[in-house]
Amino acid sequence: MKTFMRERLFSKQIQNGLKVFVMPKKDYNKIFAMYSTHYGSIDSEFIVPDTGEQLKVPEGIAHFLEHKMFEMEYGNVFDKFAELGASSNAFTNYTNTTYLFSATSYFKENLQLLLEYVDTPYFTEASVEKEKGIITQELRMYEDEPEWQVLLNLLKCMYHKHPVRIDIGGTVESIQKIDVDTLYKCYNTFYHPSNMILFVIGCINPEEVFELVEETENAKNLVPQGDIKRIYPEEPTSVYKSSHKVHLDVNEPLFLTGFKDIDVGYDGMPLLKKEITTGILLEIMFGRSSELYERLYEKGLIDDRFNFGYEGQKDYGFCTIGGETKDPDQLYKEITESIYDNIKKGINIEDFERVKKKFMGEFISGFNSLEFIASNFVSYYHKNINIFDYLNVLEEITMEDVTKRLNSFFDFSRNATSVVMPK
Amino acid sequence: MEKEKISMSKIFEEVGVLDQTFKQKTLKNGVNTYIHSTPKFKTTTFCLFIHQNLARETASKTALLPFVLKRGSKSFPTSRKLNLFLEDLYGTNMGGDVLKRGERHIMQFFMEAVNHNYIGDKNILIKGLKAFRDMILDPLVENEGFKADYVNQEKEILKRNIESLYNDKFNYAIERCFQEMCKGEAFSIYKYGTVEDLALIDNKILYNYYRECLAHCPMDFFVLGDIDEEEITEIIEDIFSFERKEVKQVKTDFVSKFVQEPNYVEEKQDVSQGKLTMGFRTNTKYSDKDYYPLMVYNGILGGGTHSKLFQNVREKASLAYYAFSRLEKNKGLMLISCGIEFEDKEKAIDIINKQLDDIRKGNISDYEFDSTIKSLVNSFKEAADNPSMIISLYLDSIINGIQRTTEDIIYNLSKVTKADVINVAEKICLDTIFFLNKK
Repeated sequence: MKTFMRERLFSKQIQNGLKVFVMPKKDYNKIFAMYSTHYGSIDSEFIVPDTGEQLKVPEGIAHFLEHKMFEMEYGNVFDKFAELGASSNAFTNYTNTTYLFSATSYFKENLQLLLEYVDTPYFTEASVEKEKGIITQELRMYEDEPEWQVLLNLLKCMYHKHPVRIDIGGTVESIQKIDVDTLYKCYNTFYHPSNMILFVIGCINPEEVFELVEETENAKNLVPQGDIKRIYPEEPTSVYKSSHKVHLDVNEPLFLTGFKDIDVGYDGMPLLKKEITTGILLEIMFGRSSELYERLYEKGLIDDRFNFGYEGQKDYGFCTIGGETKDPDQLYKEITESIYDNIKKGINIEDFERVKKKFMGEFISGFNSLEFIASNFVSYYHKNINIFDYLNVLEEITMEDVTKRLNSFFDFSRNATSVVMPK
Repeated sequence: MEKEKISMSKIFEEVGVLDQTFKQKTLKNGVNTYIHSTPKFKTTTFCLFIHQNLARETASKTALLPFVLKRGSKSFPTSRKLNLFLEDLYGTNMGGDVLKRGERHIMQFFMEAVNHNYIGDKNILIKGLKAFRDMILDPLVENEGFKADYVNQEKEILKRNIESLYNDKFNYAIERCFQEMCKGEAFSIYKYGTVEDLALIDNKILYNYYRECLAHCPMDFFVLGDIDEEEITEIIEDIFSFERKEVKQVKTDFVSKFVQEPNYVEEKQDVSQGKLTMGFRTNTKYSDKDYYPLMVYNGILGGGTHSKLFQNVREKASLAYYAFSRLEKNKGLMLISCGIEFEDKEKAIDIINKQLDDIRKGNISDYEFDSTIKSLVNSFKEAADNPSMIISLYLDSIINGIQRTTEDIIYNLSKVTKADVINVAEKICLDTIFFLNKK
């Protein structure tokens, strides 16, 4: 048991390899649970454990599989959650697939249902065909969302081969190739309990959770699975293309520029440290209190939707900076000049200390929300990071760390820019 | 899963802690304060609402005002100075925006600060509150107007913000449906006003308008967090006791309308997906007894995965990824929205009409009915776990002049019958269909 900001975290590993974490929040009305596998859209090539076969699967299959998990032999699992008064959902991103529910009654029954349906694949040809219609509409919806398109195009510029350049949901064409057999192969490879984590938070007793999970999981008589062999293509350090422009039916241009991180290949605490360090650096350079932000805002080049961030995974990483603007070229020029200027002048200590305080406050504030705690815990866990180390790592980061990152990260040979223009 | 029947009574019994017992007090100048102390949250939330009628003459000014006030006060004359200060206060979050609730236009100013217990700076609240007060009450003024540069820059940004709704096809289709449906009613006004009216505002006009709002508009001030109620009450009385004139009444307008022939409007853009939106008059007010069956009606129709729209438009016909209905409770409207292939429009409308008919005829399964009630109860209970939801629900009570605790709502939901739902279904009529089509 660990104590952190008046919160306690309990954990247990089940015999079959499943890791279970419970954080009691007695004064909340609900419980929120996430059952998550370390399997996302980038895991499109791998060795099937039982046969040793090397398999390349259609783009978008992890997301397709997520949709199909809700189907059981008796019907749709959404219905069962609704009967229990819970609301259930799931999502797929580049690196993981997560199933969740929130409920204010029938905690144990809901939890058992969550374990049961995610542990039970049931795919039929008819239902797979039917899902293609639904997912096609989901993809079409994203085609009309300029924010999503501008990011997708940026990733296509930055990466030559890495599957992060492909839309999480695949394409309308690629999902047509998905069939029952391949869905089972993906499921059997990635949905073994050893590759999964269960996180439960809310007004629930940890012992009750452990007991229920052990009983349910032990009944399946599974033994821990070995490491999954995932195959990613060799990715050059350069960007594939420095810029991309598309025309959509929008009123105002949308601009996004980014830098590809080549300091990759590791996870755990060093990755957490790199993420926070980069976050501090971006905040100092582009945040609301930066000179650049003030200048861009007063010139009318940005509005308060201007955004930036860093995404760090074991095998890839990148930052994005941008937003809606009347003049993408001018905005790019100002951002570029400011980066050179920062590298020349360096970071000052007041900015560094202040931004650290801001990060600390924001992290603590996040703990109001059970969803914030759960989703951060789960996504960091898949990167071998314990989110409760966040404040310690933040504390440890020095000016030197940030300065070092400033001098290595912003290499313009690894910069790419994506723009959506009005038609 | 055990096959035991899920008991409804258990759902209603396990109500748990519903934190929304605000202590209410009206200051001498007419500002209402609502304070609630709870150790549940890690932050303290402050929210000031300034109520105004939604009207063409004032909408753009009301929308612009919070954005100009955010730009600078006498103590923090630039946004950058304010942000440097707030970051130093452990990332205290401060801001302003406008809300549209029925035919009310509400300016909202908020501040959220980490509780001092977690950071060891006892003065964080008072420091933050002073800056918050100054943002609202002590703006940067020159020649009897706001700083002209700020007003001009914010006008330009708000103009682009209004225009960029076009980029967001999902919300664009919803907004356009309401606009067409409520032509001639205040509700058709966009929450950020219009580009034309915005052009007529200058720094002096806006400053005069601001003074008028401070003098006459109803104000509600909320505090929620792990605080000492007495201490915070004193602080607020001290810093928010500014002079005001008589507080005016703000209306809660509601239109009852039975439409004979629904209006069909189509707009063409270069898009990949058709957006079908349908606007309805519910002819039911938030304060009516019928509001409870109306919530249930909406839940059965399109309020979640158990609903008729999700089951039939998405799961059975495979026409859409999303298909839902929702209520605009303060105006008595209901909206259906789904994203479909362009050629499936007629098919989708037919399926939707069939669902509406089915409810009217009483074709409601126990599963649909029970799941809806459970899901509503669940969402009200969950709301008590979220500071801004707690405040938002209370604000609805204030707007409609009816005090409803979460316990009341849950109790009344438990009394709703299928017959009540069929009864409200009779009053619901389709007013306008808006379809965003391809070119």
